[in-house]
Amino acid sequence: MTQTLIRPETPVVPPPSRPRRSKHRDPSRFFRLHLPLVLYLLFTLIPFYWMLVFAVRPAGETSLVPWPITFEHFDTVWNGVGFGLFFQNSLIIGVGTLVTVTVFALMGGYALARFKFRGQRVFLLALLCTQFIPGAMMLIPLFVIFKSAGLLNSLTGLIIADTAFQLPLALILMSGFVRNVPVELEEAAMVDGCTRLRAFFAVTLPQLRPALVAVGSFAFIGAWNNFLFALMFASKQDKFTLPVGLSYALGEFNTDFGALAAGGVVAAVPVVLVFAVVQRFLVQGLSAGAVKG
Amino acid sequence: MRRLLLALALVLSACSAGGDGPTTITFWDNNGGPGRTPIYQELIKRFEAANPDVKVEYVGIPSSSVQQKYDTAIAGGSTPDVGGVTTSYLAHLVGQDALEPADERIESGPLKGKLLNGLLETVRQTAPDGKLYAVPASGNMDVIWYRSDRFEEAKIAEPSTWDELANAAVRLTNPAANQYGFTIRGGAGSVFQLLSEAYSYSGVEKFYEGGRSTVADPRNAELVRKVAELYKKATPEADVNNNYTQMVAQFTGGTVAMMHHNLGSTADVMKALGPERVAAMPLPKGPSGKRTVVPNPTDGFAVFKGSRNPDAAWKFVEFLTSAESNGHWNEKVGQIPANTDVRGAEWIQKNAAVKMALGVLEDPATVLVPAPVYLPEYSSITKTDTEPMYQKVLLGQMSAQEFLDQLAAKLTTAQQDWEKRR
Repeated sequence: MTQTLIRPETPVVPPPSRPRRSKHRDPSRFFRLHLPLVLYLLFTLIPFYWMLVFAVRPAGETSLVPWPITFEHFDTVWNGVGFGLFFQNSLIIGVGTLVTVTVFALMGGYALARFKFRGQRVFLLALLCTQFIPGAMMLIPLFVIFKSAGLLNSLTGLIIADTAFQLPLALILMSGFVRNVPVELEEAAMVDGCTRLRAFFAVTLPQLRPALVAVGSFAFIGAWNNFLFALMFASKQDKFTLPVGLSYALGEFNTDFGALAAGGVVAAVPVVLVFAVVQRFLVQGLSAGAVKG
Repeated sequence: MRRLLLALALVLSACSAGGDGPTTITFWDNNGGPGRTPIYQELIKRFEAANPDVKVEYVGIPSSSVQQKYDTAIAGGSTPDVGGVTTSYLAHLVGQDALEPADERIESGPLKGKLLNGLLETVRQTAPDGKLYAVPASGNMDVIWYRSDRFEEAKIAEPSTWDELANAAVRLTNPAANQYGFTIRGGAGSVFQLLSEAYSYSGVEKFYEGGRSTVADPRNAELVRKVAELYKKATPEADVNNNYTQMVAQFTGGTVAMMHHNLGSTADVMKALGPERVAAMPLPKGPSGKRTVVPNPTDGFAVFKGSRNPDAAWKFVEFLTSAESNGHWNEKVGQIPANTDVRGAEWIQKNAAVKMALGVLEDPATVLVPAPVYLPEYSSITKTDTEPMYQKVLLGQMSAQEFLDQLAAKLTTAQQDWEKRR
């Protein structure tokens, strides 16, 4: 009787191949779904193609297919403009900001999600309000503070500035992620004898892996792309970063498109690599953070 | 205890010995980049070899952010010893009391009588007290770059009037082949460029007459109308948003046959097209036949008041503007040298564009009509306030006269306010 009712060869959930068959029945699917996606992809990729073409095409050429290719623009930006050093500075600032923002966001986000304290809503509102203040407005006060603290012309100063500006959003994001992890898990661990700290490390932290990746990526990319602070808080050539180096290609009277494109490739590669590695966690992390906050 | 005192004495003597090294001064290049940085690095090397007691620390600032960088440094009290400046924002720096006047240093130093009077005057006019707050190094002039090869093919002579230019532009246009005779700067920086076109046509000799701006003169409006008529007829449609980058790209890419820019684009133009395919001419004259020129901002060097080593800073400025350095610099960038001793240099005879520009500036018949770049509002008036209006003129949504009337009213008010403050 039971065997006749439940037949193992009959799947309860339709196999994933079934929707694919339906496209044969619905030719408009190509126009509704695939064509717009292909067009959008082309639209997105054209600037990258433009950048690559200008980066490897000899100056003065106009061909859309760059052949023969040249690496003279890379040589100009890396050795002539000093992108080697700028790249190193950007990397130190990016990784430094990533670490500090992630650590502080983790601690602060946990506190905001798990504890109730007086003025919590006001604190959250204040965090949100900081996002409305443009960096340029804080430039001179920050410059004066950094000067008194001896933090001008130092990569540490830039890491602190980037951290300060990125932490509020990271805190808000992280508190949303922590709220998504059921508090009962930690309570169960504590019933089993864990301290709160142990429970956090053993139970909550592994669940926050996508959150750490999402917050860390934002922090890294924010610091990597920051032009204003790098230019204003550094007045030594060897402390500048990639965005400053890129803006060198845009002169008062002329634009070196080859150098600009080659510099763009150098600046974009780490960001693309970071996204390629972490995108799986990032999508998961972003959607997890989006439903609660 | 004695050992401790001895150690302390040794440390102190070591510290004082460290102070005997070369004096270090900082120099901010206001247009740092792959084109100019190597030239400065070479000049600094020469300076340090000639002055072993002074070390120069070079910092290249991107030109788009240099004003903000100076403002922040002035507010925070961290200015360089020497900075590259142009007259377009010099008044702003003088207004913040950040710069040392250069008059006495020039009068008592090797530069006395060696600098082009026209450039000195342009710099002096930017300061309310008429003092010289920067030592001019390079002059620039608006020119029409044109494809000499295409003119030759079409058997068209170099235009000497605006009407001839307009006719040539139409004849050299063939939209089917993506070829246009002229390119209009309709986007960022359009109004400043348009004003030099208007005054070159109208022959109006003063920017202000009796305290009122002459911008709205009907002859200026006539030129604006003529240029607007060329839009889409002899120019690409996208020109309404053109800044100089797009214009230069269109010209060097071979799409357009004529471009109004300045000597600053010499390196780009020559690199892409070569002297056999491109030439420069002054902005054409109008019906008056007069040669009226609105001078471009002058580039120079300023010593900041916050400098701890003003003598070393002045020594460096004098070196940069000496005949040898000034000649080397302007030869590389293709601009007009401020030092008059460079005039006879061989490279000027070979550089047709610079030679032509010098010829125009030296011609006694040429009338200079300096724009009021000293007005603090000048930049916002000619950019934010009126560039969108010029776009409306190009698109046929506003008349040329109405546009110039509004521009003139703003410039008159700003000048009157400035006179009151002065």
